[in-house]
Amino acid sequence: MTWALVIGVVIVVLLLAGVYLYNRIVRLRNEVDTGWSNIDVQLKRRNDLIPNLVEAVKGYAAHERGVFEEVTRARAAMAQASTPGEAGAADSFLEQALGRLFAVAEAYPDLKASTNFLQLQSDLTDTEDKIAAARRYYNSTVQAYNTAIQTFPSLLFAGAAGFRAREFFAAEADDRAPVAVSFPS
Amino acid sequence: MTLQQQIRANRRRTAFVVFAFVVLIVVFAAASAVFVGRTGAIGLLAFGLAYGVFAWWNAGRMIGSLTHATPLQKSDDPDLYRLVENVSIAAGLPVTPPVYLVDDPAPNAFAAGSRPSTVYVGVTSGLRRLMPTRELEAVLAHEIAHIRNRDVRLMTLAAVLVGVIAMLSDFAFRMAFFGGRGGRDRNPLQIVAAIVALVLAPIAALLLQMALSRRREFLADADAAAILNDPEAMALALRRLQLDPSEVAYADRATAHLFIESPTRSVKGAGNFLAGLFQTHPPLEDRIRALEEAGGFRLEALPGPA
Repeated sequence: MTWALVIGVVIVVLLLAGVYLYNRIVRLRNEVDTGWSNIDVQLKRRNDLIPNLVEAVKGYAAHERGVFEEVTRARAAMAQASTPGEAGAADSFLEQALGRLFAVAEAYPDLKASTNFLQLQSDLTDTEDKIAAARRYYNSTVQAYNTAIQTFPSLLFAGAAGFRAREFFAAEADDRAPVAVSFPS
Repeated sequence: MTLQQQIRANRRRTAFVVFAFVVLIVVFAAASAVFVGRTGAIGLLAFGLAYGVFAWWNAGRMIGSLTHATPLQKSDDPDLYRLVENVSIAAGLPVTPPVYLVDDPAPNAFAAGSRPSTVYVGVTSGLRRLMPTRELEAVLAHEIAHIRNRDVRLMTLAAVLVGVIAMLSDFAFRMAFFGGRGGRDRNPLQIVAAIVALVLAPIAALLLQMALSRRREFLADADAAAILNDPEAMALALRRLQLDPSEVAYADRATAHLFIESPTRSVKGAGNFLAGLFQTHPPLEDRIRALEEAGGFRLEALPGPA
């Protein structure tokens, strides 16, 4: 009788602990998803800006075809990326291409003075900053989630319950440095 | 202390403040019953509670008018707005809070609002002018950290409810010395009312102190450093605030604890004991040292020019 009671209490306690741990991991996973959708919003915004930017530069430097193609390809790769890891790789490729586009723009003073270009440039800088901010948040949520499912005691059931570790988004050496879109005067 | 622990602690403190407020109002009404009769006491009770709810609902606006803060449009200062947006994204806030400007040369910032839809960040024009971008971002991150861990809700609640109690205390005081049934001999009940009034205000102050965690500024500094991944920027911003001796004009006991640094150097007209009681912020020097230890750096004595 006493033993049954003890076993019953132990089972209830274990169940409660399990529910608590499970809910905690679900909360952390939801934060990761929110973090990713925040990045996604900004990546889409940047992808919408790029065609306009390419058009603006084309108007002054139509013959620089190689750069435009590179940017267009990088943008397409970015749009197709489905996992954070892929997106991260596509992102650094795209940033390089954009860097080259701005280097080209550097040679055309009329382009650099046009209000349309300046506006696009400022919007792009803003979006780059927001991507960097969203990346910091996302990576911190991934860190918390991965740690939670890889440590005892959640470790015991996380795999069986279908919780998989998530990928970081472009863990670069210096995530503070945005694309170099400002020109030394 | 993780964010979740901070949020839970703040939820407990908020519940405590509401509970203590209701108890104080009930005690106050009961004490005044001998003076204004049962109907009057019930009326006072109803008024106190209703006013508390009203103040809670309008807390953000009340604090805005107390501190002379006015809403800033995005077109007025797009750079500042962008910083607030970026910091909100980096902190994982679901929405970017609006920015209010306080036209005051003293550099300072605060956040206020009782509900997620009414919460905002206030900065003084002095802060905007004095701070370079990196440090301004750190100050904004500090305020966003207060919003994220629900400090702001608790502090706003504490500010307005203490305001209600102070008003009732003032009311009782007037009744004690100018009201009553006339005649030259002072009714003993008036003395009771005076005592209630005299006791109520310090209780309210104590309540405010108990509601506020002494660690909240350290925690917000640490969270801001983590949000930006830059503890040095936070320390530099605090050093710059420390070097500026000016005081915010429209800040008083009720709102002082909302600011990033104490808006007044000393509480006027209070003795040493009361000054200690009303000390709302840990010394900036301690906060800078905590950041230096966490980040493993040392600040130069003076920050560079803005």
